Amino acid sequence: MKVLVLGASGYIGKRLLSTLKSTSWASPVGASRKREQDTSANARWIQVDSRDVTALTAALKGFDAVVNCVAGDARSISEGARGLVRAALAAQCPRIIHLSTMSVYGSAEGIVHEDALLKPDIGWYGQAKCDAEIHVGDFVRQGGEAVVLRPGCVFGPGSHLWVGRVARWLHARRLGDLGLAGDGWSNLVHINDVCQAVPAALRIPVLPNKFQVFNLAAPDSPRWNDYFVDLAIEIKATPVRRKGPSQLQFDAWLAGPPLKVAQSVFNYLGNQRARLPEPISPGLLRLWRQHIFLDSTSATKELGLGWTPYAFGLKSSAAWFCEKKGPCDQVCDEAKCTH
Amino acid sequence: MIADANSLPNGVQLKADVCVVGGGPAGIALTLALSERGFSVVLLESGQLKADEKTQSLYEGEVANERLHSPPDKYRQRRLGGSTAIWGGRCMPLDPIDFETRSQVPDSGWPISYADLLPYYPQANALAEAGRFSYNADDALDPQVGPMIRGFKSTRINTNGLERFSCLTHFGSRYAKRLQLAPGVNVLLGANCTAVQLQPDGRAVSSLEVTTLQGIRFSVSPRAAVLATGGLETARLLLASRDVTPAGVGNSHDVVGRYYMCHIAGNVGTLTVHGPTNSVRHGYEVAPEGTYCRRRLSATASEQRRLGLANAVARLHFPRITDPAHRNGVLSGLFLARKLISYEYSKRLNDGHSTTLGTYGRHLLNLATDSLDTTAFLAHWLTHRTFAERKFPSVILRNRTNRFSLELHGEQRPLASSRVTLTDKVDVLGMPKLRVDWHYSSADIDSVQRTLDLLATEFELSGMAHLDYNRDTLEEDLMRFGAYGGHHIGTARMGRDIRTSVVNADCQVHSVLNLFIAGSAVFPTSSQANPTLTLIAMSLRLGSHLAQRLGTSQTAASLGESA
Repeated sequence: MKVLVLGASGYIGKRLLSTLKSTSWASPVGASRKREQDTSANARWIQVDSRDVTALTAALKGFDAVVNCVAGDARSISEGARGLVRAALAAQCPRIIHLSTMSVYGSAEGIVHEDALLKPDIGWYGQAKCDAEIHVGDFVRQGGEAVVLRPGCVFGPGSHLWVGRVARWLHARRLGDLGLAGDGWSNLVHINDVCQAVPAALRIPVLPNKFQVFNLAAPDSPRWNDYFVDLAIEIKATPVRRKGPSQLQFDAWLAGPPLKVAQSVFNYLGNQRARLPEPISPGLLRLWRQHIFLDSTSATKELGLGWTPYAFGLKSSAAWFCEKKGPCDQVCDEAKCTH
Repeated sequence: MIADANSLPNGVQLKADVCVVGGGPAGIALTLALSERGFSVVLLESGQLKADEKTQSLYEGEVANERLHSPPDKYRQRRLGGSTAIWGGRCMPLDPIDFETRSQVPDSGWPISYADLLPYYPQANALAEAGRFSYNADDALDPQVGPMIRGFKSTRINTNGLERFSCLTHFGSRYAKRLQLAPGVNVLLGANCTAVQLQPDGRAVSSLEVTTLQGIRFSVSPRAAVLATGGLETARLLLASRDVTPAGVGNSHDVVGRYYMCHIAGNVGTLTVHGPTNSVRHGYEVAPEGTYCRRRLSATASEQRRLGLANAVARLHFPRITDPAHRNGVLSGLFLARKLISYEYSKRLNDGHSTTLGTYGRHLLNLATDSLDTTAFLAHWLTHRTFAERKFPSVILRNRTNRFSLELHGEQRPLASSRVTLTDKVDVLGMPKLRVDWHYSSADIDSVQRTLDLLATEFELSGMAHLDYNRDTLEEDLMRFGAYGGHHIGTARMGRDIRTSVVNADCQVHSVLNLFIAGSAVFPTSSQANPTLTLIAMSLRLGSHLAQRLGTSQTAASLGESA
């Protein structure tokens, strides 16, 4: 099966390319706006912008499926998905695997199944991802096959978002046990599980006009407080602090904006931004207290996923952080680390 | 969902798999556990999220001897979260020996073992936000943290046992959102259960009768009913439900309300540790997960068996606050500010002796001469207690002299004569009020004395410390403030013999197939441990049992079914 992986230079895309390459049935090709080629996966590479329908149509010719891992700003996500759908239809690429997100459920709380209504009420990212899913729905309505994967927070070795920066916040004592403010479910899903879900999604039968959706979150993923405390202990950011809502609000609303501005200025000047403390956004505060629990029963049954145990994901992530692998450039005091 | 019971139509009959009466730590833990297993639950809570004077007054009652026991409306909170709204947060499990039948403790022995309860303790610890379930200093603390008394070793005394402290977690505010979102859960606030209505044969609960202070009456007909109303109120409700069984529900052998226990506690003696002050760690340690922990002294289980001791622990403490002879500004400040402190926390600042002007003067002098320490203490208290999210548990003084008192907290023997009964007076809902007649025995004091003797011997043998105490005043020292407040244990005790117990090993009332009790009322003995952690663990265990007993959910949660 010839598979084009769009957004293959990102955290998920890069790992996915490597996973697909290791199978006996898939011939993956990476694609990205960036020139960079993933040499570790030893896969072919196409440089293409998914918003450029003509170029993408040409690139998609002869492919059996395309996996959309495109990240970025709202336009890249939403218009990229629209461009992809047009290109896939024009190139007669029969199947799209679209990596969406739990953010499409917006502020929903409780146990959330795949048939829950999309709720673009929590900012630009959720809105863009909802728009992207609507475009993928158009693909199905026009005769294409689509499988949408809605992962929670993808973590594991190499995860800057959910391991690296969280670990740095823990070391800086800006995070810890948040009490009520961290009582939401983390919906963590290991990168390996996402990379197993995509090959399964490529191969399952999809009924005509069926918009197939799967939540992806490990059934044993803990509440945020538990994750923060567990990770802090693993990386020896101890004793863990109990943080109050006012401290978090101060960090997010008062310290956050100037940090964000400074970060942008440094970026503009081409300077290293990692020297600055990373802002904690108000959106993260909302996420950590949101009691949303992704039900992944369908993925377990229909994609046949065997979930990576949380304990393994935690330890391997902490080991990665402490060994300074991946993009984490903040030095962890190795003498303090258990790994 | 959480709703006000006053929003229900009068006379409505609700159905659920389980009805839990009481929204304290036991009821909340059980409700969440049952919801996770797919069962529908109606949780009846008398109070609201905030304290309410009129609701709280429903706890009013009598005590036989006010010197021995606080009034029944103290140390208890009738609101969502129950008494965790005011608790001190001290957590520790029972010890394995507590479950044994011990010759030195008549009427001891649980029908379950420590191993039966152990699987539920870690989750109880998590709910109490007391960190990991680890109660040994070697395991729980950083290896660099020193021992309690450097150089003191004994094979007869444990020095590594820990107590851990909750945040202090108020279960009502902390878990309201979980309850709000829990599938199948209906929490009804302002809902006072006034009777357990049995079927005519008395073998099962047919309904729980409920009244609000605004006069709405309704009933709940569950597949299983659980009373989680605390050690005093559980007995009150059972005894007051007399329609089918005149002696009260589960009381055919006159056991309900009996064997009422608290703890024997007080400050005793003077421990003088030889060597530098930094060889003693008498205060709180911080575990890696951020929890405050403190070491305690206790006789090993084998010594308890050999010497015939009841279970007890001792902490290194400061001198008696009320006596200005301690010359400590912090303690004198506490004494002088006692009227600003709540009843529950100021009780041990009022020892019953009249305070003379001279005493006030000496306390003021202490404040003046010890102002630096007092200021440092206040700064620490503000930053680590008042404005801290995880509260520093209690007053700890800087060790300047290596001299401490021992703060003892011990088990009392269960006594059938120590009991709660109903009076002829009723509250505004027509419920008979309680009378508390708490007793202890001379054997309790004797056991503490022999524990102190053991400690004194071992300190002397080690050459590291010397313990001195006055045998003649020991009983007065331990009973100066009466029963340790807030620990209401044993009024519906667990056992195998229906003549001496109220519930079986599954917490089911012996004679009523679908009536269960959660909470410290079922503890047959009191242990050295504060009861909250164990009553949460017991509730979680009850949740597992009910899930097994009920099989699958048969009743969808509904608030709209008419009678």
